[in-house]
Amino acid sequence: MIAGLLLLGGGAAAGVFGSLLGLGGGVLIVPLLTLGFGLPLREAVGVSLVCVIMTSSAAAGVYLERHVANLRLGMTLEFFTALGALIGGSIAFLLDQRLITLLFTGLLVYVAVTMARVGRVPATAAAELDVAPVTDEPGAGTVLDRLSGEGYRVRNIGLGVAGATGAGVASALLGIGGGIVKVPLMHVGMGVPLRVATATSNLMIGITAAASTVIYIAHGGIDPYVAGPTAIGVFMGASAGSRLSHLVDLRLLRLLFVAVLGFTALQMLLRVVG
Amino acid sequence: MTTPRSATFGTERRIGRLLIALAYVSVALLVGGVALMLVGGISPLDGGPPLDLDVLVPNLATLDPAGLLWLGLLTVIVTPFSQVALAGYAYARERDWSMVRIAIGIFAIIAVGIGVAVTGTV
Repeated sequence: MIAGLLLLGGGAAAGVFGSLLGLGGGVLIVPLLTLGFGLPLREAVGVSLVCVIMTSSAAAGVYLERHVANLRLGMTLEFFTALGALIGGSIAFLLDQRLITLLFTGLLVYVAVTMARVGRVPATAAAELDVAPVTDEPGAGTVLDRLSGEGYRVRNIGLGVAGATGAGVASALLGIGGGIVKVPLMHVGMGVPLRVATATSNLMIGITAAASTVIYIAHGGIDPYVAGPTAIGVFMGASAGSRLSHLVDLRLLRLLFVAVLGFTALQMLLRVVG
Repeated sequence: MTTPRSATFGTERRIGRLLIALAYVSVALLVGGVALMLVGGISPLDGGPPLDLDVLVPNLATLDPAGLLWLGLLTVIVTPFSQVALAGYAYARERDWSMVRIAIGIFAIIAVGIGVAVTGTV
């Protein structure tokens, strides 16, 4: 009973943080389950993937209804991300747990540093970087024209393909949505406006995670008793987070988040060393 | 080939509604499963059974918590796939064959993944 409530509460906290900061929440759920509940890393990754699908599906639904996400671009990049996820999901069960933990620790440090640096750049300025206007009707002409949206033109498709494949491998290995890779890739690397990149990333995250989750289920890597309460908590937290965003001082929240990530990275590193 | 913007918007709206509906259905199933766990005095840390499709329906019929939880989790997992399927169908109606090929390609990769996992060739 208490464990169930703790999972629900922990999932809700991860969901709130994730939705307020534009992350899937996987970077918080995996440490919560391994450090807090003593779950093996692979089981924690499996549960985390379920939670990532849950939040991304709901968010992607809203973004598609509001026509913010770029469905063509999302599906095209997703083809390569799914390929990466297949590779990652297959090698995840061959790699040493300590190596995966070490990789996850590196990811936590990367996210913490990225979040700390984002805090120094005004969001509106970042959103307008590298956006080239187009006048062509999307859906006509070259591949890049067809993948472009209203008011912007997609570029560097080769970089997008390589980055999307890498995001898929990372997602399957580490139980993350991969938004932390895909959003900068689309925005900075491919010239997609930040808001569209975030929405399109949400669209892709669910498919990637679902492909990996099937492999985890086949290997018996998902415990329904843990996944159920955690996923409900994440869904509740993500729903609440989207409604609370205008009430919260995001700079303060980002600082807190960076501190939590730093502490978690240290704990996981100590576990590897110990 | 030019895709009318209104057709694309209609497709996106339909997919969006499907995703939201399936998210709520999966949450409802999971809430039901967790409620049955509480009633049965099962702790989340007791270790749940792996997915066994042969006993899924009997478990649902006997209100076994694992049955509802697995049905909820499967609904969660099916949701993004249905997004790809619906998008592929919509693009086929619009005769946008390159996007149809991409949708089929995504399914093919996922099918290979399932095949690899089930047969244990990795």
